Amino acid sequence: MIATLLKRQATALPILLIVSALLFTALRLLPVDPAAMSMPPNATKAEVEAARVAMGLDRPLPEQYAIWIGQVAHGDLGRSIHVRRPVSTLLADTLPATIELAVAAMLIAGSLGLSGGLILFALRDNKAEPLAETATTLMMSVPEFLWALLFIFVFGVALQALPFTGRLDPGISRPVLTGFLLFDAAWLGQWKAFASALLHLVLPAAALGIAFAPPIMRVLRASLIDIYHEDYIRQARLRGLSETRILLFHALQNAGLPTLTLMGVQFGILFGGSLLIEVIYAYPGMGNLMVDAVRNADLPIIQAVGLTYCIVVLTINAVVDALYHVINPRLRAR
Amino acid sequence: MSILRAENLTLTLRTKDASIPVLRDVSIAVAPGRILGLVGESGAGKSMIGRVLSGLLPPNMAVTAGSLHFDGHDLLTEPKRALLGREIAFIPQEPMTALNPVHTIGQQMHEHLARLGVPAGERQARAIAALDSVHTSEALLTRYPHQLSGGQCQRVLIAMAFASRPKLVIADEPTTALDVSVQARIVLLMRELQAKAGTAVIFITHDLRLAAGVCDDIAVLYAGRIVEHGPVAEVFAQEGHPYTRCLHLANPPLSGPPRALLSLPDQMPGLRALATLRGCAFAPRCPVATADCAELEPGLSVLAGAHRIACHHPARTAQILPPTDDPHPIRLPGDAILTVANLGKTFRNGPFWRRSETRAVHDASFHIRAGEFLAIVGESGSGKSTIGRLVTGLETPSAGSITLAGQDVTTPSAKTRAHRIANVQMVFQDPQSALNPRSRIADIVTQAMEAAGRPKPERQARARELLAEMALPPEIATRVPSQLSGGQRQRVNIARALCTVPRLLVADEIVSGLDVSIQAQLLTLLARLRHELDFALLFITHDLSVVRHLCDRVLVMHRGEIVEAGEVQTLFAAPRHPYTQALLASVPPDLPL
Amino acid sequence: MIPRALRDPRAFIGAVLFALIALAALFAPWIARVDPQDQDLLGTLLPAAFQAGGDPAHLLGTDALGRDVLARVLYGARTALSVALIAAFGAMVLGSVLAYAAGYLGGWTDWVIGRTVEIWMSFPPVILALILMTGLGTGLRNVILAIILVDWTRFCRVLRAEVVVIARRDHVAAARLTGFSHLQTVRREIIPATIPLLITLLSLEAGIAVIAEAILSFVGLGVKSDQIAWGQMIADSRDAIYQAPWNLLAPTLAIFLTVAAANLLGDGLRRTLDVRLREDRA
Repeated sequence: MIATLLKRQATALPILLIVSALLFTALRLLPVDPAAMSMPPNATKAEVEAARVAMGLDRPLPEQYAIWIGQVAHGDLGRSIHVRRPVSTLLADTLPATIELAVAAMLIAGSLGLSGGLILFALRDNKAEPLAETATTLMMSVPEFLWALLFIFVFGVALQALPFTGRLDPGISRPVLTGFLLFDAAWLGQWKAFASALLHLVLPAAALGIAFAPPIMRVLRASLIDIYHEDYIRQARLRGLSETRILLFHALQNAGLPTLTLMGVQFGILFGGSLLIEVIYAYPGMGNLMVDAVRNADLPIIQAVGLTYCIVVLTINAVVDALYHVINPRLRAR
Repeated sequence: MSILRAENLTLTLRTKDASIPVLRDVSIAVAPGRILGLVGESGAGKSMIGRVLSGLLPPNMAVTAGSLHFDGHDLLTEPKRALLGREIAFIPQEPMTALNPVHTIGQQMHEHLARLGVPAGERQARAIAALDSVHTSEALLTRYPHQLSGGQCQRVLIAMAFASRPKLVIADEPTTALDVSVQARIVLLMRELQAKAGTAVIFITHDLRLAAGVCDDIAVLYAGRIVEHGPVAEVFAQEGHPYTRCLHLANPPLSGPPRALLSLPDQMPGLRALATLRGCAFAPRCPVATADCAELEPGLSVLAGAHRIACHHPARTAQILPPTDDPHPIRLPGDAILTVANLGKTFRNGPFWRRSETRAVHDASFHIRAGEFLAIVGESGSGKSTIGRLVTGLETPSAGSITLAGQDVTTPSAKTRAHRIANVQMVFQDPQSALNPRSRIADIVTQAMEAAGRPKPERQARARELLAEMALPPEIATRVPSQLSGGQRQRVNIARALCTVPRLLVADEIVSGLDVSIQAQLLTLLARLRHELDFALLFITHDLSVVRHLCDRVLVMHRGEIVEAGEVQTLFAAPRHPYTQALLASVPPDLPL
Repeated sequence: MIPRALRDPRAFIGAVLFALIALAALFAPWIARVDPQDQDLLGTLLPAAFQAGGDPAHLLGTDALGRDVLARVLYGARTALSVALIAAFGAMVLGSVLAYAAGYLGGWTDWVIGRTVEIWMSFPPVILALILMTGLGTGLRNVILAIILVDWTRFCRVLRAEVVVIARRDHVAAARLTGFSHLQTVRREIIPATIPLLITLLSLEAGIAVIAEAILSFVGLGVKSDQIAWGQMIADSRDAIYQAPWNLLAPTLAIFLTVAAANLLGDGLRRTLDVRLREDRA
């Protein structure tokens, strides 16, 4: 079983290599000169040239790539040109924050999506159905960054109910362990920090989660409707089973398959979407790191962060694939 | 003492502008231990009776008159859920899809037993006993439905249906989706269980021969009404209603001298026509109808004993005879038009590092002579369709050679393509999929001329010609396939292949899935076309009686190999290979003429 | 006379809304009457005309540089709509050509195109767009190009699945057998069957493109700063939510209405054109 799952992920590594190569090549074609940027503005041409040689930028592109990939494999992601710190430290600081945000948002999206899907399904053939469907269409028309602004406007500024900048209140010292703030605070028993971190997470996670809930609602509803046309549902009715039983034992697991696939795709997109949320809520995660790096053309960071996003997506895909295998016997029994 | 009694049941479909009687005045009764057959063509309303019993009607349908009683319950007023699966059990048409794909057979058995109130501790033993009663091993309990064959799935479903010792079992075309040899075994199994428990059974089928073999009583439906009803022995000793008689004569016989088929014109009135029907619904197609038939609808009246029919002129039914014109104008066979030698096809699945192979065809050799009708008979997965696709060049052979009209065309290529297009055409099984839903009929039938770049007026003239040849009304030329009936669509399908009159026509299951009267129309058409045009036919089918009726020679395929070949008459009279013998033995016997 | 495709009320409302926005963009100079680039450093951050302290000359107030918000929203519609239409069309052309090739030809072509889509989709779209914009530099043309290069996969995946289903139908094989060339077969037997799906996807993609442009402009990597874009307006307005809320509300509402129009139209078309668009593939 585990061997099959691993075999199915055989394409992940080649994809990663190709992505990294593409990323590397694309960014090297930029009209910016990392060597010049790393030097003070008054540096002479010779000094810049020396820096270029020192950074290996004079070598052929494939060689540069090979060197870079070799360093990456050893955990050396290079140094930021702009902030002059190792990229790996920057990532270690920001990645847990982004994961925490994305997972919280996905939990919200998932629970909203699944319950909404069931409600929409319950409304089928009802007069309220077109209304409910139009409501989800309109909900889908609000992208995550508009939700984020709206929430700041309402809960942050107007009601002043929830904080909307950073991860912690200014006065609270940050528990230092893994970088996953909620986990660290709970582990170390710093409950004040825990409460503050939780409150700070509410608005960004809600904004991100609510934006990704409608597609989940719709796919669950659509799959349930499809499945209720299947022979085995009819046969279950003919066997006199109750509707609750049919929904729980026969329909949900089957409808779960396409829903799970979608949630996997959604999670990947959501991870990217967290970038905007982080910018809007001044949340110190990978998204903010990326945006700053892009503005400063800080290539080592862009490369590393880009690659990290790609690894995250591939990991999510692998997990979804494994889950899919667990709940779909047709794939398992080969 | 009937366990189920329906009286004057009328089921109405309400649409925006009409209320259509889907069932009218249906009265049936089943006694314990008896099997009632409901026979009719698609759209006759036979399955609707099952749906009324289960109470699972579409929201726009309702019973508007009559009564329905089951074992002291009024089924029209009382909730039925509690009875379903316990007192009334159902056996479905498509066993493969009637079991939930994500649960094991065991899980579904246990669920069913739990619902029947079997205590948890006894369920495993009961499940094993139930599987044992349908002669399958308990090993199935840990399997998933997709790991079972259609026959095995149906056995599981039958085991579930009989697990509660129900008083009534409703089987809706339980064998239609299965292969012939499996069909016979499933029917036997049902009879065995039913006799053992004294269960009443309603057996819904389109197959008159099957019903005659299985049932004690039979009710023939036409356009939502019962037109003939009585004990099987009496009904088939002398068919009282012209429709039953015609249906019988439209079936090609498996024994005795070959005879022409009676082919009824048109088709049964559709749902829409039912709303405004006057007189006897069958009158427009009835060979012995008189003027008053179209005016006054006949009621169901006693013919003799329990045998009742709805016809004004029962005495005239016996006048309906099979047509006497010679169905086979024998043409001297010409030279071989197609020679296939040691043909093999192995399908490779998956990427190269985890490839799996399935052998579809192995070492097949045969030939067809010009003007000859050759049949390939086999069950699903026998490789018969693959041969058709290899001959037409839709697949590339893995071994052997194909020679078509003197040229080697084994490997499809640009060079052989033109030769193939000119010499071989194909009629596909399902016109729904074979006709582009967005194209006009005239364009579809003259596709070959469009490909050859012929001008439009020439194509339109040919389209008119072709439609006339196929006995299709000229006005359908500008329609799209969805506006045609099933039989018309299949004719268009044939017309396209015959547009440039190829020397060889490959036809894959072109009459399966059609109603008997439509099938008779098509078979008669093919026999006539054979007379008028000069083409050879490779006829791929699972239906032995059709082969015997239409073809000269036959190849029997089993698991990718040709196990027997020969002249149709000799082979059917004295099959040599055990598989052919088994296949022939599993077809229900002919009705007495 | 309403075309059959717009019989669904959702499709109709969406189409009308979209047409109104297009008219507003087209006639922006006549409706606004003020140059959206005119700065008035004495009248910055004015509230809307109907609020206390508003100036009737600026219906929705002014921004931090004293520019008229209404005029900027109207001119911003020009940016948004050109991105929506051109990018969606471009993504459709690129994605569908590859989808027809992959779905109809199968085999190696399908494998290569399938893997390319997979590689593409291993990046979250926002990140991919940002990286592309880093490479391409800001500007309207590059925004459109980036959106096409990110979103073609959406068309390719959905359409390929559809083409595979259609290509398996017997009438496609029959067309080949009667002598149709590959091109003829694709043109006559496959493309017509996919048109409803394409129209629906196109309409949904228009909404996605509007959002994408707004996002890019919001993080400052979209259009050039002299071009008026809703995303940029939102980014600029965030510091002054209190004094001049319409600076934020007007472009937000504009984005919402445009995207809603596209989504309503797409959802309605999905029904009237009877497109079986599985949500998990969309």
